[in-house]
Amino acid sequence: MVTVPDVPLGRPRKGFAAWFRRSEAAQGLALMSPTLLVLLIGIAVPLVILITMGFWTREGFGFDTTPTLDNYARIGAEPIFVTFLARSFMVSGIATLVTILLCYPMAYYVAFHVHRNKMLWIVLMTLPFWTSYLLRVFAWRVVLGYEGVVNSAFLSLGWIEAPLEFLLYSQTAVIITLTHAWAAFAILPLYVSLEKIDKSLLEAATDLGDGPVRRFLRITLPLSMPGVVAAFFLIFIPTTGDFITPALLGGPDGMMIGNLIQLQFGPVNNWPMGAALSIVLMLWIGALGLVFLFLTRLAKRRLA
Amino acid sequence: MDVLDHLDAVKRGTLSRRAFQRSLLGFGIGALATPFAAGRGMAQQAQGSIFTWGGYDLPEFYPSYIAANGAPPDFAVFDGTESALTRMRSGFVVDVAHPCSSDVMRWAASGLFQPIDTSRLSNWGDVIPELVNLEGNKADNGMPWLAPFDWGSTSVTYRTDLVELEGEESWDILWDARYGGKIGMFGSGGDAWWSAAIKAGVPFDQIHTDAAFDAIAAVLREQRPLVRVYTDDTATIGQALSSGELVAAMTWNSTAVELQAEDIPVKFAKPKEGALTWVCGLMLHRDAPNPDRAYEIIDAMLSVDAGKFMIGAYGYGHSNSKAFEAFTTEELEATGLSATPSDILGAGHFSTPQNQEWESRMNETYEMIKAGF
Repeated sequence: MVTVPDVPLGRPRKGFAAWFRRSEAAQGLALMSPTLLVLLIGIAVPLVILITMGFWTREGFGFDTTPTLDNYARIGAEPIFVTFLARSFMVSGIATLVTILLCYPMAYYVAFHVHRNKMLWIVLMTLPFWTSYLLRVFAWRVVLGYEGVVNSAFLSLGWIEAPLEFLLYSQTAVIITLTHAWAAFAILPLYVSLEKIDKSLLEAATDLGDGPVRRFLRITLPLSMPGVVAAFFLIFIPTTGDFITPALLGGPDGMMIGNLIQLQFGPVNNWPMGAALSIVLMLWIGALGLVFLFLTRLAKRRLA
Repeated sequence: MDVLDHLDAVKRGTLSRRAFQRSLLGFGIGALATPFAAGRGMAQQAQGSIFTWGGYDLPEFYPSYIAANGAPPDFAVFDGTESALTRMRSGFVVDVAHPCSSDVMRWAASGLFQPIDTSRLSNWGDVIPELVNLEGNKADNGMPWLAPFDWGSTSVTYRTDLVELEGEESWDILWDARYGGKIGMFGSGGDAWWSAAIKAGVPFDQIHTDAAFDAIAAVLREQRPLVRVYTDDTATIGQALSSGELVAAMTWNSTAVELQAEDIPVKFAKPKEGALTWVCGLMLHRDAPNPDRAYEIIDAMLSVDAGKFMIGAYGYGHSNSKAFEAFTTEELEATGLSATPSDILGAGHFSTPQNQEWESRMNETYEMIKAGF
């Protein structure tokens, strides 16, 4: 196909068009621009707003925009914030740990012992996650409730005299629900990393005299570590800030930092405080993530 | 190319690249254009919207609106008026919102609302005047900010078979250590705080003082270990009361009326200290996208039919005096109502409007107490 240029032949292109044709960087940026725009509007701008607002203070329904560190000082000084942060890390840490421990064997089984229709197995395992998150949380309310599945079953079996009250409206309930709700996010990365392991390495280890336990610890576990790390981050980060699960199942003592942040933007009406809390939460998650990464690196080096 | 030829070509695997791309192009244009076509159609039948408490999203409240527009208005639901105001301040626009009398002054001061032109409401003539003449409800042009809709009490709903009364009914039921772990409370400040003020013996005209703050906070802190759940979801409270998970809870009239209809032995207490009474109503958004529909919503809610449904199903008072005519005095008394609302409103404690600073401080303190601090 012949293109007819809109400028007469023989005259070099000038200005923007010429520059654009020459510059690879400009063309690359132009290609990325839709995504970049979304990133900028959706992530960078809100983050800047959040950081800026964290230095403001509330004044009635408006803001006093003189920059100050008061909000951060309050977070450090008042026990409520520290307690909520610590509780969130504890609840979500336990939930993450339990999820990975429970999902590892499942992923292991599919990766090593299922040879046909692997995809079907994976789909079946993630089937519960095709329903909405909220629906699953409500389902756990039905299961753990005062007249719920667990309590009625135990009552009819005669194991208990009165319904167990700690099942619902407690940190236990939040941990159980988070563990179930986020299982898919552990199974998939664990499966992928286990699937990639070269089976001949395992055979070699056996040939060289390693028993099943040593073989697992020296070959399988270290090689599946990327999956474990991915699962840890995929579950720990969102569950720490989770809001709806503790709101529906947590009861008075099960509230987490996400609920506190929501309150600042809702009835308490202290947006700068909410912004500062979000920043602190982000920094803490970042720091804990780095520590975790560092520890796994260290462990891997030791094992190697 | 004919559709059948096309399908045939796909089947035989002889579809040319150009033909395939032409189909893709056609499909893409179709997909892009669909929302525009639908959007025009939808815009013509956009319903009015109302931002309200849970439980008011039933068609029975909007009979004349549905008759005129074929469908109920769009609903958005809030759990407390303070979070509703925060949400609207951050740009959420509806036609009509449903706050309570003590919110009116602050809501009007936010500049987000316009006075209601009562001449556009066919049912306005039947509205009980005591409910309109509330503190701060008159705008500069003489029109009301709030069209009253529902009124009732906040009190204790308790299981008559599980709670042993000591003497008269009292707010003390909710502070009784014998029922620790079986008490339910409201999740948002407002009613919980004012009721605690009654329990603490703080006169309502003193409620803004620091001493009152400390006294009320102390009472709520004392209660906190006894509370199983703080929630604004009346369904959760209702289910918990019927199963015996809770034996007493702070509720509005409706919880008791609904449970009694299911033959569950509950009673809506008339505390000796007095119940907390409230009047809620409808406010019109300044930038209401559908002002005509907004007036239709308000008028429908003020109608006798909506009132009859609310009195019968929820046990709340209605603002239309004619709505009470369908009920006998006994029926009304059984739900804790009276055809002359001034009897009820005068007998109870009526929360008074406070400034924004107080409201934020109250909500913050209540949240701290709920969290255990």
